[in-house]
Amino acid sequence: MTGPDEREPIPGDLRALIDRAFDYRGYVTLARRDGGPVVGFVYDRGPEHVELFDEAARRRVRLAIDQITGVEFTGEDSAARAQQIWERRRGGLEPPDAQRGAWGEWGEPATGDRRSTRPVLILVALPAELRSVAGVLRARPDGGTARGRLGATGAVALAVGVGGGAARVVEAERPGLVISCGFAGALEPSLAPGDLVLASSVRDEAGESIAASEPVLRAARRVLDAGDRACLAEGELLCTTEVVATAAAKRALIRPGRLAVDLESAPAAHAARRAGIAWLALRVVLDPLDADLPAFAQVVRGSYLAPALRHALRGPRAAAELAELARRVRTASRSLARALARLGAVVGGLIDAERAP
Amino acid sequence: MFTVARYVLKQRIAGRTRYPLVLMLEPLFRCNLACTGCGKIQYPTALLKKHLSVADCLAASDECGAPVVSIAGGEPLLHPQIAEIARGLVARGRFIYLCTNALLLEDKLDQFEPDSHLSFSIHMDGPRVEHDHSVCRAGVYDTAIAAIRAAVGRGFRVTTNTTLFDGANPDRMRRFFDDMMALGIEGMMVSPGYSYRKAPDQDHFLRREQSHRLFSRMLESPARRWRFNQSPLFLQFLMGQREFDCTPWGNPTYNIFGWQRPCYLLQDGYARTFRELMDRTEWSRYGHASGNPRCRDCMVHCGFEPSAINASFGSLRGMGETALALVRERR
Repeated sequence: MTGPDEREPIPGDLRALIDRAFDYRGYVTLARRDGGPVVGFVYDRGPEHVELFDEAARRRVRLAIDQITGVEFTGEDSAARAQQIWERRRGGLEPPDAQRGAWGEWGEPATGDRRSTRPVLILVALPAELRSVAGVLRARPDGGTARGRLGATGAVALAVGVGGGAARVVEAERPGLVISCGFAGALEPSLAPGDLVLASSVRDEAGESIAASEPVLRAARRVLDAGDRACLAEGELLCTTEVVATAAAKRALIRPGRLAVDLESAPAAHAARRAGIAWLALRVVLDPLDADLPAFAQVVRGSYLAPALRHALRGPRAAAELAELARRVRTASRSLARALARLGAVVGGLIDAERAP
Repeated sequence: MFTVARYVLKQRIAGRTRYPLVLMLEPLFRCNLACTGCGKIQYPTALLKKHLSVADCLAASDECGAPVVSIAGGEPLLHPQIAEIARGLVARGRFIYLCTNALLLEDKLDQFEPDSHLSFSIHMDGPRVEHDHSVCRAGVYDTAIAAIRAAVGRGFRVTTNTTLFDGANPDRMRRFFDDMMALGIEGMMVSPGYSYRKAPDQDHFLRREQSHRLFSRMLESPARRWRFNQSPLFLQFLMGQREFDCTPWGNPTYNIFGWQRPCYLLQDGYARTFRELMDRTEWSRYGHASGNPRCRDCMVHCGFEPSAINASFGSLRGMGETALALVRERR
């Protein structure tokens, strides 16, 4: 056990970073000696500690400075943004009709607390993923959208295509929680088709990492880890802009703590964070680390039906390959549906995690 | 005035050297405007969506004990329970100044009842052109004027608060004071803006000497009808006729983070309790005399009104000087 006098002195550069984090009007990610990174807004610091609000602005976290090993400025600086906006329109005024009423950008609450009626928004990429989600919501997909209920909470599921559309949809639906879900490729050798990956953070191709809110993760973990045959793993999700289809390509992306690769979670997390909404990325493994996807699946398409049939007609090996892929899709879809159904039990609480007390 | 005087004398008799006069209560940071000189509202959205509960606000007032509560923000009228907060504070005998840009005031008036303890303090930074420029939106001055008329007409106490920046024209401001008093308001508050480092416009904050020049020209030979809801000694301080140092503990600030150290304007961290704020803040690091560069040009009322009030009620001489200043002001 280390007493206060035996602690290592805090390096000056770390102290300077903590001072900068305290002055910063955006989220920072604090790396810890023990445990995962903590993301939040630093509002107080002393000689021995920092205090921050988590990303949902619900939970206060107090960390000993000697447990902090690094500081990353991962969120947008609100003050710098306000100054940039002002510089751009220097001297120019918003016209009166630019107001969204006298409530400004916040909008007038309907009656009571309208946030309690905000839906959960489930973002998937492909129509095949939407079909399995729609089943859980007891809804029929209509033009890429399925509206129903997840547990007792209103839910909207949308197939937004690969990589895009999340920001627009988040703005349009004004949800209380964003769940990005769908298929992923494993970057961890022990993960099999149908295994679940709960993202503690998502990292985009530019290297920016967004950590998930711990209260949201904790609630999700509790229900997802309860006696399902699929394995639940929690760690980093890498989000690329092109399909990573071959075993060799996947191996090149392996890093400690990184579990899977997908195409959609980072835009969804970015959009939710910008809107101040809690988010969750839940993926299901479609292709294990050592498996290649068939050639037709290596390209992003709206529909895979015709290319799959053409692939099957190339010969018995290709047909077997397609059958194997179809089996994995079924396994992954069922696993995802079961996981979403279990999330239904806590999703109202996850929306509450975002609400101001 | 009588309540504040009695409170100050009570503190003095009890031998307290540091005591609060006005609780600056910030129940939320979100706002429906983005003013050029405001550094209060630049936070991530999740924090802007957060607000103090009614119970938090009342507990803060109980903990602090200041006789006056200024409800600031953010825009307090965006708080869904703002009327409940005001009612709770009035029921505790506090004098409330509900600071608002008035965009929502007319719509919300029905939620409030006129009371001698409740004043709406309307943000008005000058005549139409100057005010709309300051709040970066056309039409806000006219909306605020309509709201003032409506509130005064329904029997509410209404004051204005005016923050001034470099470039303010003293002659136009004098006409603005005439216009405000003609609306039937009870009094006006004026102050130079604080040079928030997080504010969008960093080029128009007043240096101390500039403040002296501006306020001297603006407030010399005041019109008889002008009423300032401020200590006359503070106005003399603004004009450079009197020197005070800051009383940063005079207007303690409570918001979603806790008790803000050391004052309404600077954020050097937060205390969990009011007692911790008072007892464990290094007050000697703040104020003009401390040499703290962030305090160098500050002449804002939240730091110097308490100094002026302490001077007014702290001695017979102070009382005499205040009485004399009041007579001069109204001559």
